[in-house]
Amino acid sequence: MSTKSNDIESLVNRRYEHGFVTDIASDSLPPGLDEDVVRAISARKNEPEFMLEWRLRAYRHWLTMREPNWAHVHYKPIDYQEISYFSAPISDADRPKSLDEVDPKLLETYDKLGIPLHERARLAGVAVDAVFDSVSVATTFKEKLKDAGVIFCPFSEAVTDHPELVKKYLSSVVPYRDNFFATLNSAVFSDGSFVYVPKGVRCPMELSTYFRINAANTGQFERTLIIADEGSYVSYLEGCTAPMRDENQLHAAVVELVALKNAEIKYSTVQNWYPGDENGKGGIFNFVTKRGDCRGDNSKISWTQVETGSAITWKYPSCVLRGNNSVGEFYSVAVANNMQQADTGTKMIHIGRNSKSTIVSKGISAGRAQNAYRGLVRMMPQAQGARNHTQCDSLLIGKECGAHTFPYMEVRNPSAKVEHEATTSKISANQLFYCRQRGLSEEDAVNMIVNGFCKEVFKELPMEFAVEAQNLLNVTLEGAVG
Amino acid sequence: MSDIAIQHELLRAAVDRLPADRLSSVRQAALSQFSACGFPTARHEDWRYTNLAPAIERSNAWLREAATVQEYRQVELPTPAIDAYWIPIANGIAGDIPPELGELDITVRRLSDAGADSTLDTSEAMSSFNAALLRDGLKLTVGRDVRVEKPIGFLITDDSDTQIRLSQVRIIIEVGQHSHIRLIENYPRAESSNGFTNAVMQLELAPQARADYLRLQDCHSQHIQIGRLVARLERDTALHYLSLDFGGGLVRSDVEVDIAGVGAEVSLHGLILAAGRAHIDSHTRVDHRVGPATSTEEFRSIVNDRARFVFNGKAVVHAGADGTDAHQANHNLLLSGQAEVDTKPELEIYADDVKCSHGATVGQLDELALFYLRSRGLDREQATRMLTGAFAASILSSLPIESVRDALEDLLLKRLEKLTAGDLS
Amino acid sequence: MKEMLEIKDLKARIDGTEILTGLSLTVNAGEVHAIMGPNGSGKSTLAQVIAGHEDYEVTGGTVKFLGTDLLELAPEVRAREGIFLGFQYPVEIPGVNNAYLLKAAVNAKRLHQGQSEVDAFEFLKLAREKMKVLGMDPAFLNRGVNEGFSGGEKKRNEILQMAMLEPRLAILDETDSGLDIDAMKAVANGINALRDGDRAIVLVTHYQRLLDYIEPDFVHVLSNGTIIRSGDKSLALQLEERGYDWVREAANG
Repeated sequence: MSTKSNDIESLVNRRYEHGFVTDIASDSLPPGLDEDVVRAISARKNEPEFMLEWRLRAYRHWLTMREPNWAHVHYKPIDYQEISYFSAPISDADRPKSLDEVDPKLLETYDKLGIPLHERARLAGVAVDAVFDSVSVATTFKEKLKDAGVIFCPFSEAVTDHPELVKKYLSSVVPYRDNFFATLNSAVFSDGSFVYVPKGVRCPMELSTYFRINAANTGQFERTLIIADEGSYVSYLEGCTAPMRDENQLHAAVVELVALKNAEIKYSTVQNWYPGDENGKGGIFNFVTKRGDCRGDNSKISWTQVETGSAITWKYPSCVLRGNNSVGEFYSVAVANNMQQADTGTKMIHIGRNSKSTIVSKGISAGRAQNAYRGLVRMMPQAQGARNHTQCDSLLIGKECGAHTFPYMEVRNPSAKVEHEATTSKISANQLFYCRQRGLSEEDAVNMIVNGFCKEVFKELPMEFAVEAQNLLNVTLEGAVG
Repeated sequence: MSDIAIQHELLRAAVDRLPADRLSSVRQAALSQFSACGFPTARHEDWRYTNLAPAIERSNAWLREAATVQEYRQVELPTPAIDAYWIPIANGIAGDIPPELGELDITVRRLSDAGADSTLDTSEAMSSFNAALLRDGLKLTVGRDVRVEKPIGFLITDDSDTQIRLSQVRIIIEVGQHSHIRLIENYPRAESSNGFTNAVMQLELAPQARADYLRLQDCHSQHIQIGRLVARLERDTALHYLSLDFGGGLVRSDVEVDIAGVGAEVSLHGLILAAGRAHIDSHTRVDHRVGPATSTEEFRSIVNDRARFVFNGKAVVHAGADGTDAHQANHNLLLSGQAEVDTKPELEIYADDVKCSHGATVGQLDELALFYLRSRGLDREQATRMLTGAFAASILSSLPIESVRDALEDLLLKRLEKLTAGDLS
Repeated sequence: MKEMLEIKDLKARIDGTEILTGLSLTVNAGEVHAIMGPNGSGKSTLAQVIAGHEDYEVTGGTVKFLGTDLLELAPEVRAREGIFLGFQYPVEIPGVNNAYLLKAAVNAKRLHQGQSEVDAFEFLKLAREKMKVLGMDPAFLNRGVNEGFSGGEKKRNEILQMAMLEPRLAILDETDSGLDIDAMKAVANGINALRDGDRAIVLVTHYQRLLDYIEPDFVHVLSNGTIIRSGDKSLALQLEERGYDWVREAANG
């Protein structure tokens, strides 16, 4: 304990040198990353020793790593010393008091996206007590979960309240050394969700980040861990369609899912990060490591995502199909418009016998965007009778964008079956004319055709999300045609 | 996996020992180019699955022997009964050129001759290695409106049965406007091999020209064969290409087609039979620079024992290449638990008015089809052979040179029988 | 107004080639006109130009629909004003189901005409009624637009859409092409069910047989982009017997 307070003190002294004179607990750290910063983050969160040790191991390893270089994604080098790794919660005094103080353009977007009125205030960052029903809603929700025995809390809470679970499962799916961004995340992660569903329990409601009442900023280094114990089921929703702006450009989250025997995890994401202006300036860099471990026999993990926004997207939600008869699914719609660049896809690693994976990827490119699907299907020698089916379709809207498909298939078992198909096309003039002849405007026709293109993915989303996703697509592609 | 490197000083010495002739400056330039990067390693995306260590080792052994004077020494080998204008190429050096070719308005010159002015492509490491060590090569100039039914064949051998041999083969073929020729690149099977053949073929099709190209690789299981075909297609041309890999120990074949004129039509087909410890890597790339134009590609493989097949088919549709139709397919049959297939069809698309697709499968014979045949009295082995044969033979329907069909079917049958029997020789 | 469609000396081209070379035609409410002609005469072009396909360039003449200049209007506005084109080759739109497209189209038209939109229930009720009259299986509604449809199913789908949209002017482009006799009868029944005093129908057809089931009031022969002869239903029978050359020669001679 004393080591910790010494660290804080020395840090505080440093801070005084820089002229900051404020309350420690609600203070943001100045930009820069070194061991002291890692310690300070851990101290701020009152983490037990094991957590700090883990962070430090990761940080030291990160120093030895080099940033990956992907052919199809170009961005200005990130200066890791320019980033602040801990942001204090915004005080109520700095928040808008009501929706009247919020940028009308933002409200217009909420309208177009069909976001329910009661959610708009929360999304716009209006002070918590002005959102009168949020506290009561959260309370009933928490009670229901408690009755079922489901643990759903912020990650930082889990570290202190359920350390044994965290110790057991953290980094068992994404080892801290896994890749550059995952390692960075392991050192400086801010917060995220922790879910544990006990044996045989079917989580009574969909878990959503909405209910993780958390006054802190949206994490730039989110860390989420979801464990479904034997025979359990949970559906988790992440994100929302409202455009998420953030002062922090770099978002490097890590999500780990563990499904034990006969368990199922459904993870849905609808994300609309700020893509930057039409020239791509100021957009979010979304470098995420998401992986699911189908650890037990007959387990199942499905990833469903609708991603728009982000200046740069680099994410490959993956499944390790360890258990026999395990199932991995990946359904994705990725939209890139204006100057966005996306290099996304999935990895399905088949180890267990009769494991099965399904990949449906729909990419839409418009403006001057570049959208690449990069997937890996690997059948290990022991994956007797394993099956994969992949369908990747790209839709090009306009003459200046690009759509690319890079599927890697590595097969080492003769009884495994891999089937991959990809098509690239544009919205045909005939389809557009057909719809217009039926009375639809060109814009409505495009929306309809694009939604039809994405249908297979949308139907995997929980219902409210699906409707939101459709609206999101329409808004994102506004003005893309013609 | 250690990073073995070529012994550069020995390489330089070997290049310097080559006779001074018109190719000398080209060799030196290529050597500098190659020395800067060396052989490709697994860190290069295009060589991710293929380890060139055996080729480097063999090259170093050859360089150390210092008996690297390359001479034409032809070995008599049983070759398939194919009627063609055969040009024998032994140890990378061409033998006698069939005199009839001149009468057909097909001029064949050695690259060391004056008047054979050509640019040797050195855009890849293996091509610059080829140019650096090139003893001599050939240039074929086909005039306008030349139609020749009988194929021109390159019979590529070496005398590596008793010693290590490295052969650099370089052939440049220019086909004049409106002409139609057939070409065969043939690597027959020797009794044994310590050879490493590195071939670069450059093909230029003038407007409305057509080329039917057959690559038949039937090397010994210890042979290393690296080859590259670089083709440039002008307006309204057609290239029908079929590659058959029936042998070899370490084989890498690259086909790069540059569609530079509208109305061009490219079809690339391949059949790979990989057995024993063979490692066969087929890479293709079609650049659609303008449209409308079409490219169709289908590669099939049957892999047994501890063999490995790597496939990469890339179609790049450049901005403005509207009207492009590009389709690729790769189907693979894995017959054993230690065999491996790595496949990656790729699409890079920068134009929107296009129709592009690709598909890949890795799997087994259809159980239902097997059962059907068995219900008609065939035993499992016979049924397997029949279906495997059908899987392979369907590629022969894309055989661009009809006259060689019988000979090829015979050879295919022989090789397929050996493969399905699981011969580990 | 009795004059539904008034075409005067219409000239149109595509990719620089002139297809319609001065076509004039008047269609009144309540009438059924058949436009016949050999391949390449401009039949489909006429249909597409009336519907407003942007690949075609009108180089001369006028087209008035219910008194207003049609050529000024975008395709969807023409549709909302009451023009329906039954396509010769209805396109597939994967993932979009029939019901969804139809409801959007119905509502687009209603809004344009100052009516309120129908909700899902009302729409389905309406749809089921129409389908009953047409003798169509309600399952059609849930299928993707023309996705995996046979030729006959595609044409029947066009008729269903026409029934739901209740156009004032329906132009049916080779609605019977590629159909066997039973499918054609079903399509003809559907069209006949929609005939009334306020609606005009223009049937573009190559063969006479459809006209055995849908009796036209007028038959016009199109050749080289213009109408060279008009008559009543007996003209169609004469064409059947003597072929198109006969009319061409008669027009030239």
